[in-house]
Amino acid sequence: MSAIGYRGVSYGYPDGPLALDGVDLDVHAGEILLVVGSSGSGKSTLLRAANGIVPHSTGGRFGGDVTVFGRSTRTHLPRELADVIGFVHQDPEAQFVVDRVEADVAFVLENLGHAPDAMRRRVEEVLDALGIAHLRDRNPATLSGGERQRGAIAGALAAAPSALVLDEPTSQLDPQGAESVLAAIARLNADLGTTVLLAEHRLERAAPLADRALVVDRGTVRYGPTAAGPALADYPGAPSVTRLGRLLGWDPPPLTVRDARRLAAEPGRAPMPTFAESEPSAPNPATGALATNEPARAAPGEVLVAARQVEVTLARTTVLRGVDLEVRRGEVVALLGRNGSGKTTLLRALAGLRTVDRGTVRPKAAVAYVPQDPNSLLFAPTVREEVAQTVRLLGRTDDGAVAAWIDALGLHDLASRHPRSLSGGERPRVAIAAVAVGGAPVLLLDEPTRGMDAASRHVLEGAAAGHATRGGAVVLATHDVELAARCATRAVVLADGEVVADGPARTVLGGSLFAPQVLRVLPPFLTVDEVDAAMERS
Amino acid sequence: MRTPTETPRPWHSGAWSVWALAAAACVQLAPSPVYVALVIAVAWLVVEAHAADGPYRHAFPALLGLGVAFAFIRVLIAALTTHNGLEVWFTLPQTTVPDVLGGFTLGGTVEATVVLQSLASGFTIVGMMAVFGAFNAVASHYELVQSSPRAFHELGLITTVALAFVPATIESAHTASESDRARTGGLVVRRGRLLRTLVPVLERGMERAIALSESMDARGFGATPAARTDRVAGWFGLGALLALGGAFVALIGRASPTAAALGFVGAALLVAAVALASRADRRPRYRLRRMEGADWVLAAVSVLAPLALGLCSVAGADSLVWRASPLAWPSFDPLVALALAPLLAPLLRVPDPLWRRRTAIVAVFRRQNSGGVVA
Repeated sequence: MSAIGYRGVSYGYPDGPLALDGVDLDVHAGEILLVVGSSGSGKSTLLRAANGIVPHSTGGRFGGDVTVFGRSTRTHLPRELADVIGFVHQDPEAQFVVDRVEADVAFVLENLGHAPDAMRRRVEEVLDALGIAHLRDRNPATLSGGERQRGAIAGALAAAPSALVLDEPTSQLDPQGAESVLAAIARLNADLGTTVLLAEHRLERAAPLADRALVVDRGTVRYGPTAAGPALADYPGAPSVTRLGRLLGWDPPPLTVRDARRLAAEPGRAPMPTFAESEPSAPNPATGALATNEPARAAPGEVLVAARQVEVTLARTTVLRGVDLEVRRGEVVALLGRNGSGKTTLLRALAGLRTVDRGTVRPKAAVAYVPQDPNSLLFAPTVREEVAQTVRLLGRTDDGAVAAWIDALGLHDLASRHPRSLSGGERPRVAIAAVAVGGAPVLLLDEPTRGMDAASRHVLEGAAAGHATRGGAVVLATHDVELAARCATRAVVLADGEVVADGPARTVLGGSLFAPQVLRVLPPFLTVDEVDAAMERS
Repeated sequence: MRTPTETPRPWHSGAWSVWALAAAACVQLAPSPVYVALVIAVAWLVVEAHAADGPYRHAFPALLGLGVAFAFIRVLIAALTTHNGLEVWFTLPQTTVPDVLGGFTLGGTVEATVVLQSLASGFTIVGMMAVFGAFNAVASHYELVQSSPRAFHELGLITTVALAFVPATIESAHTASESDRARTGGLVVRRGRLLRTLVPVLERGMERAIALSESMDARGFGATPAARTDRVAGWFGLGALLALGGAFVALIGRASPTAAALGFVGAALLVAAVALASRADRRPRYRLRRMEGADWVLAAVSVLAPLALGLCSVAGADSLVWRASPLAWPSFDPLVALALAPLLAPLLRVPDPLWRRRTAIVAVFRRQNSGGVVA
C-alpha cells in the first residue's frame, strides 16, 4: 500500500526555476525510504511537499498531486494533515513552541483536541519511545543537539501519525547525537510500523537503516527507489565502504563495515592491493590537489602558531587544561573530539579571539578563524561582494585573491547569487572564502563540513590541501573521521580539555575505536583513493 | 540522592503573578531607597532559589541592568534640566533650547538635592525591574497562558513564542559580532560594523521564525476551523473597541455621561466577547495545573506585604518616603521592614535548597582543584 504518493509533481519557488520536475514516487507503508542528493538538488522540496508545506506555506507554482493516506495536499492544509504525517527539519533550535519538553510534545495533541486521558498516556509513551522521559521538565534550550532533535521528533510523533518526514535530522549534530536520533527512528519504524521518509547527507549510519533509497538530482528522481546498496553505489556521497566495494567489484556493494569485512574475507577473492608506505599517492583527479598526506607530511615547515600549556576557564568550568599544540607550514591538522571537549575554545584561543587564563599562544603569522555558523558572517548581497568585503575591510586592494578563493571553493557559478539563497552546503564555503581571502597563512575551520553534501566536502578538502601545499596551514575541528582520513596530515584528539593523541593521521586514526571505514576493512589504507592508487600500481 | 517524588512542585504561575504584583506595590508604597533595596534583595533571593536552568534565568540580571540604565538616563536628564538652587555641587556651561523645542535650560547648576532625589526615584525603577525580572525568571509563561481565559490562549501563546526569541536574538547578536572580528583576523573595523552584525541577526531570526511557523503548522496549530461563536465574539470585540474608543473621545470632549455610558457598554461587550470566545474553545488542555491550597496561601501571604505598608502609611510612618531636601540619610524603621517580610513567602518551599546547591559548587571546586594537581 502506498502511504505517500507523488503523481507528476512539479514545483517552482516564486521567481525561481523548477525545484521539482515531474516526480512520480510511491512511499510504501511501513518502510524507511532514504532520499539522497547534493545540496540544492530538490530533495528538501520533495520532503516538504509530503505534508503540503510546499506549496501552502511557500507559494510558487505547483503541478501534479501528492496524496497522504488518501488525502490530497491540494485540498488539505499542513495543519489538517497533522494527524497522519509528522515533519521534522534540520534545525533543532527552531522547532520548539513551548519552553518545556513535555508540554511541547503535547502541543499537537492540544491542537487536535484529544481527550486529557488520551493525551497523558500518549505523551508518556512518546517520551519513552524517544528515550527522553528524564528530560521532560527541562527547557529545550538547555538540551544537547541530539536530545533536542529527539524532542522535536517526539513533538512530531505525539499525534501517532502513520508517516514521519525528516529533513536531514542529524546534519547539525555530533556523531553521538546523530546516532541516538537514527537509533530512535529505526526503533519507531520497527516497533510502531511508522513510515519514514528521510533525507540525509552523512550516510555511514543512515544508509544501513533504509529499506530503499533514491537519488534526487536537479528536481527529478535520478535513480531508485530501490535497495539502498545499488542505489548508492554511484552516488558520490556514498559511505566509504560502498565506494570501496564498487572499486573492488563487490556485488552488491556493502553498506556497513560488517558486510564489507565479510565480503573481503570471502574465499576466491582477488588478492587485496598492498600498501606501500613510501610511495606518493595519485593526485586527486577532480581538484588536482594531492589526495593524501605523504608529500605534505614529508616536509612540515617552520612553526606558524604555537600554543604552550594553554588553560582556559569558561563559566567556572575548565575547558582546556595544559594544551600544547604547534601548527607548522604545510600541515592540515584534524582536531577531533566529542562535543564539549574544547575544540572550539582551542581554535578561538589560537585565533586570539579568546584570552587564555594560563600558558601562551604565540602566532608567528596571521591566523584566521571561520566560525561554526557561516550565517553569522554573511551579510552582503552577492557572494563576490561578500568575499571582496573582507579585502576592503582590511584596507587592501584586490590583488586577485578574491577571484582565486572564489575559484578554490567552487563558488564561480554562484558568485552573483545572494549568500542567503544558497543551500546549507554552499554557505560554509562562502564563509571560508570570505575569511581566507584576508591572506592569513593559518586557517582555522570550526566544523566546516556540518550539513555539507559530498560535492561541497570534496571541494573543501581540495581547498584545504591546496592552501597547505602553497605554504599555509589548516586546522579543521571536526567530528568526521572520514574527512580527517581524506585530507589531514596530522590528527589531534582532544578529550576533556586535554590532548590525548597527536601524531600522523594514519597512526592516530589507526589506533582508534572510531577509525575510518576503509581502515577497518583494509588496514592500513585510510581512504578509497589510496586503495585506488595502490591498485593502479600493481 | 533524592527521588523525583520528593521534589516539591514549583509554585503556580498564578501565585507568582500575585507575588510579583504585591512586590511591585511595595516598591510604590515604600519608595525610600532602604526599602527598595530590601525588595531587590528579596527578589534576588527568590531568583536564586527558584529559577530553573534555561534562558529565562538571565531575565533577572538583564532586566535589572535595563533598570539601572533607565535610572542613569533619568538622573542625567534631571541633573541637566532641573534647577532649584539648593545645595549646588558645581556649575556647568549652560544653553537654552529654542522655544520650538520647549525653551528650557540645559546645563547650569547641578544640585545635590536634585541628583539625589532623581537617584532615589531612579532606584524605584530598578526595584520595579528587579521584581519584573524575578517574575520572568521564576514563573512559567506557558503555564500562565494555559490557565488564562481561553480567549487569550492564542495571543498568549504567540507572546510566549515571541519572548523565546529574545534570548536567541541576543545570542545570535553575540555570535555575529564575534564572527565579524574573526573575519578580519581580530582587527576591529568600526565602519559599517552595525550593518555587518545586524543583517546576519535579522536574517537568522527570519529563518528561525519561518522554521518555527512550519513546525507549528505541521503540528496542527489552528487546525480547528473557527466556530460560529468565535465570529460572534469577534464582532463583540470590535463593538467593544469602538465603544471604548468613543468613550475616550467623549472623555476628552468632557461629555462625562456619554463617556460613562459608552465605557459601560464597551466593558460589557468586552466581557461578553471574552466569555464567548473562551466557551467556543472546548479543546482540553494537557495536564492543566490549577492553583492548589498552598498556591492560594502564597498569594494571600504576599498580599499582606502591601496591606501592611498601607497600614504603616495610614499610621503615619514617615520613613516610607525619602526626600532629598533637607539633606539627610534615609531613615530605617524595623516595623516597615517587618511589613516586607511576607514577600519572602516563596522561600518556604524551594525545589533545590540553597545549601544543597552550595555543597554541589564546593564539590565541583574540589574536583577541579584535585584535577589541577594531577595535571
